[in-house]
Amino acid sequence: MTSKKLTCNARTVLDFRLQARGSEMKATVLRAGVTLAIIAGAIAAAVVISRAVVGSRIVANSGASVETIRIAEHRQPRIDALNKSVPRIEKQLGVIIEVVEYPSPEKDYLSKLLTELGAGNAPDLFTTNYDSDVSDMVSAGYLAPITAEVKAWDGYDQLFDVAKKLSTSADGQIYALDSMLLVEQIYFRRDLLDKAGISTAQPANWKDLLDRAREIKAKTGKYGLLLPAGISWGSGAFSEGFALFVPGSKTPQIANDDGTLNLNGEGVRDIFRLYKSLIDEDLMPIKPLLGPEPWVIPKYVMFPAGDLMATTCGTWCYIYDWGKASKNPVPDVTKNVGTWAVPGMVGGSSVKISGSNIWAVNAKSAHVGLTKKVLLALCSVDATVAYAQVIGNVPARKDAADNKDFQALTELVPVLKNVENGTFLKSAPGFSVVSEGVARATEALLRKQTDASGAQAILVKYVKDLLGDNVVN
Amino acid sequence: MAMTYETRMAWQNRMLLVPALVLLVCFILIPAGAAIYISFTNDALNGFAASHPQLVGLKNYVRLFSDEGFWNSLIVTFFFVFGSSIVGQFVLGLASAMALNRPIAFRPIFNAAILLPNAVPEVVAGFIWISMLAGGKYSTLSRIVGLLGFAPHDWLESTPLLMIIVVNTWRGIAFAMILMTSGLSAVPGEVYEAARMDGATPRQIFWRITLPLLRPTIFLYMLVSTAGTIAIFGLIYTLTRGGPGGATEIIGIYIYNQSFIAYQLGYGSAVAVIVLGVSIAIGAIYVRVLKVQV
Amino acid sequence: MTAYGFLTLTLVFCLLPFLWVVLASVDPNASLFLSVPRGITADHFIKIFTANNGGRWFFNSLVTVAATTAVVVIVGGMGGYALSRTNAWWKRPFLYAIILVRVLPPTALIVPLYKFMLIANGLMGALVRRVVPPYSTRAAMQIFGFVDGYLGLILVLSAMQLPLALWIIKTYFDLTPKDYEEAALMDGANGFQRMHRILVPLALPGLGAAGLLTFIGAWGDFLMPLTFISSAELQLLPIGLFRAFQRANTIDYGYLSALALLYMLPAVAAFGLARRFLVRTFTGGIKG
Repeated sequence: MTSKKLTCNARTVLDFRLQARGSEMKATVLRAGVTLAIIAGAIAAAVVISRAVVGSRIVANSGASVETIRIAEHRQPRIDALNKSVPRIEKQLGVIIEVVEYPSPEKDYLSKLLTELGAGNAPDLFTTNYDSDVSDMVSAGYLAPITAEVKAWDGYDQLFDVAKKLSTSADGQIYALDSMLLVEQIYFRRDLLDKAGISTAQPANWKDLLDRAREIKAKTGKYGLLLPAGISWGSGAFSEGFALFVPGSKTPQIANDDGTLNLNGEGVRDIFRLYKSLIDEDLMPIKPLLGPEPWVIPKYVMFPAGDLMATTCGTWCYIYDWGKASKNPVPDVTKNVGTWAVPGMVGGSSVKISGSNIWAVNAKSAHVGLTKKVLLALCSVDATVAYAQVIGNVPARKDAADNKDFQALTELVPVLKNVENGTFLKSAPGFSVVSEGVARATEALLRKQTDASGAQAILVKYVKDLLGDNVVN
Repeated sequence: MAMTYETRMAWQNRMLLVPALVLLVCFILIPAGAAIYISFTNDALNGFAASHPQLVGLKNYVRLFSDEGFWNSLIVTFFFVFGSSIVGQFVLGLASAMALNRPIAFRPIFNAAILLPNAVPEVVAGFIWISMLAGGKYSTLSRIVGLLGFAPHDWLESTPLLMIIVVNTWRGIAFAMILMTSGLSAVPGEVYEAARMDGATPRQIFWRITLPLLRPTIFLYMLVSTAGTIAIFGLIYTLTRGGPGGATEIIGIYIYNQSFIAYQLGYGSAVAVIVLGVSIAIGAIYVRVLKVQV
Repeated sequence: MTAYGFLTLTLVFCLLPFLWVVLASVDPNASLFLSVPRGITADHFIKIFTANNGGRWFFNSLVTVAATTAVVVIVGGMGGYALSRTNAWWKRPFLYAIILVRVLPPTALIVPLYKFMLIANGLMGALVRRVVPPYSTRAAMQIFGFVDGYLGLILVLSAMQLPLALWIIKTYFDLTPKDYEEAALMDGANGFQRMHRILVPLALPGLGAAGLLTFIGAWGDFLMPLTFISSAELQLLPIGLFRAFQRANTIDYGYLSALALLYMLPAVAAFGLARRFLVRTFTGGIKG
């Protein structure tokens, strides 16, 4: 009933309109259409011509046989560091290097990169920042082996042993080269602890560490120790938090030689218990860890302000988080922020070494050979020192110590000397799943939904669901 | 003559639909079909399964039923759609449309103000609402409630779901208002006059006349708006990314997190297939309940 | 009176969030939080076009989205007309089915879509190499490519926006009487004449509404450019904006706000235009 009426109304209106301005409207429409078409055509032509001109200019500059190597990188400081080395490498190898900016943070970068790798369309060369991702990229067949080239390379002898070991996969081949190392331990506010009369001596074991955090809470009312946790911290929940405590636990390695993963052990549960205590006793800030970019508030705001007294962190903290590359620095950072090695559960201590800026060549690259040369050039002293300046990790080579620019990084020089004393976690296929499982387990702890055994069960179930029952033991 | 004309028109019609069909088939139907296939595999973004995906039957679907994150996401999505699209946008949109349907001063200004949020791209909307809500006592909202004597909050942490409902309501009032305005203007004025002559109160007029006459409009609105709200991604991605602790993990974000953060493409696709099923059911319910013919 | 009170509250609710972005864009010391600027500067806006790539992002977005709008209006116009004039059995299922396209979370389609686009890209690459001289192959692929090229992005965005456009245009054609066409047919007008003399002028508001909604939808889309565009010189505004926001340690809020305002502008203008068409389109068009 209604609808019929409406149609009639509309029809009358249209009738009227059509009669009144039928011809006038037609002309307007035609004119508008033609004008639009001309504008669109002009824009398209301009784009085509400008692109063609840009394209031919590059070719004209450098001769027709020059190859273009595309490199994926993300985050402005890292891109700046890479761009510093690009002109030199272009000249040295006679290639054109195109740096493609990828999204950040890390997880978004990896998502896009992995989508492209899976589709066979990724850039020739790229970095990852976690050894755990590399193992899985290898088993997916995404990476070209570079063993022969790396071993024949003049920089090979200068690599730290730990860098060689980290770069070598379970099958003995090298697929990705750890060009930088990061040394992770516990960083604390020496100035504020001294002021509050709290000991800054190396904690002897986990209980000692926990008591120290309790003491900080009792005497200052501030948070005592932050361990990265939760889903939104991404790979960091595992590699910047959980993994630091693995070497000192009863399960010092997670990857077994037969390819299985040691997740049911007591050590794993003990580490979750440590998290549980910190969370339940309100010794670490929890709310920011549940939001996006969980590191921003605790590390960039609370720690410099003195609201958080200790956190796990790495070499980069002295420069990027609280040092000269920071927007919110701690004054005189090397003096006012001290470091503890990570204590073992019952004694001993360790600092965790892991790889960073791990360069790898796309197995489906059209110029694998040439790309490998670019990769090695990016592992030179100059290129790695450029990264060290903006990010704060240390080059994976001993001879970086002789570099003038590196020597100027007084925060990092002492670290380089101690690299050989660190321990590292063997990485294995399936580690990206373990990493996600740890993020989920610690998320449940953060939300106070479970206890240590429950967290371990979440981790084990997640890994079994995805990788099969036989992988976990 | 009549026969040839009809046949020719029918034939011409099919031809005219071809380009639209090609676009929809290539860029929607084929990928959707592939997604259904992937949902039966263990395809992943990284690891061995990434290059050697295998059929795993219904395993992904079985896992769904015991996955708390999935159920949580469904519940969050329900509240999000119900709160913002069915309650917030609709009520405010209808009220605005009715208010603006009267002779009122400054109508263009009110109109423009309500329309503005709808034109704002998702990223910008997320960006400006972060300034409204995040940062404890510094956020705009905290300062406003401070003037009224209330304590500041980290709104995206204390009441995250409510906040994303508010933000999405803010964005969508305009769409509801436009539809309702057009619905209202289609109601002939004589109907109201007759009702007023008979001594009907404004409330009676609203419930007995306006609302029933608006039913087809409401149907279209509910269908389009529910559909659009379920598929929202960018707004929540820039605002909370589903956090804190899954409190705003609507289904689009959950699928993204499963597929691209946890790398489980097979599992993520299984979630997507379930969502599609649920959406079809919702569409069918609307059609039945509102008894509208297309 | 109630109406004024209600409308004023709604107005405040709708406009308040914009206060910060407007103030910050001219504030030399802008921060994430609302504050009254001590001075006023146009530096942030100048920076968009000089120091940074904002101008290029803006131009790229404009080209892509304008092309998307054109594709949708043409393809949707043809399809909408056909849907309006048919009574075939598949009409209703088809109309419901395409609404469901809008329910499909785009995140679910991305991976298979990416693989499909890559195949298309390979075919297009082979074609382009045949037609175009080698030195401009890359330039041509940036326009006609399906991955990291405009054509692919334009077609994907079009497909995503097409369902709503089909509905709107079909609804509008339902209102335009068949008599005129039949009369024109009697007069011996051919198909093309019928179209450009009668159908297009009659359906212009519907086409306009569909086009403007498409423009707004595609202009705001975030996931597709994020997935399909990599090269810096092809980058679109939403991604550039989001990345500027992600540079956690060095966010320049003034610049960001200026960029956000610039990004809003075309969509707001389009919406202002669309509103007139929209109300007219939906008036009585609900019959479906």
